[in-house]
Amino acid sequence: MVPQPLRIRSTSCLTVIAIGAALIHLSACTRSEEAPAPQAAAFRVTRVDVGKAIGADKKVTAPSDAFKPNDTIYASVSSEGAAPNVALSARWTFEDGQLVNEATQNIAPSGPAVTEFHISKPDGWPAGKYKLEVSANGKPAGGAQFTVAD
Amino acid sequence: MADEKPKPNFGNVQSGGSSTAPAAPASPTATSPSATPAPPRTYTVVAGDSLSKIAKKMYGDANKWQAIFEANRDTVKNPDLIHPGQVLKIPDA
Repeated sequence: MVPQPLRIRSTSCLTVIAIGAALIHLSACTRSEEAPAPQAAAFRVTRVDVGKAIGADKKVTAPSDAFKPNDTIYASVSSEGAAPNVALSARWTFEDGQLVNEATQNIAPSGPAVTEFHISKPDGWPAGKYKLEVSANGKPAGGAQFTVAD
Repeated sequence: MADEKPKPNFGNVQSGGSSTAPAAPASPTATSPSATPAPPRTYTVVAGDSLSKIAKKMYGDANKWQAIFEANRDTVKNPDLIHPGQVLKIPDA
């Protein structure tokens, strides 16, 4: 015959184990709901810089907003995220809104990327203010303004 | 009468570009219908290019060079004369 106190201890022990198991299960369920499977980040432009030169990583080495008429003007567009086909466009305009140049690169980034655009004018840039607008798949994604002066 | 500054000529601007990301397939892939139309495709001429080479690259068919020529009549007067850095509009195939 089992003494009564021992049976009580055994019963409460089982209860504690059951509650513990339930809590662990509950916590596991909660955790799995809070942490969905990792997904590839959507493509987005993180930075647009203009300058007179770029490095091997396609980034502008020294961002600048002041240029000389004979400079080649570089723009580096930093982005993150993955996409099978992004039409990245650079539209350069003069101060009166006149189109200077427009170019598009179709890229398929799988993570952080840098895309560079550059323009030059053999007979020199007219002095004035210029604007660069960058778009991704037709949607505005950033830009920069700069000046050309003698 | 105000003195109107003559508009600068940007017709000889040369452009180019490159990316650390791989190039997407030249022909646009089927995508879900979208309200915003895709921007027009362009191609920047590099040394050694001809319209038929570009047509082959963009459409997989060199004989479609005339479509590119027609789309760029405003800047390309002679189909045998295109310049590195020149940006060409690439019409849909």
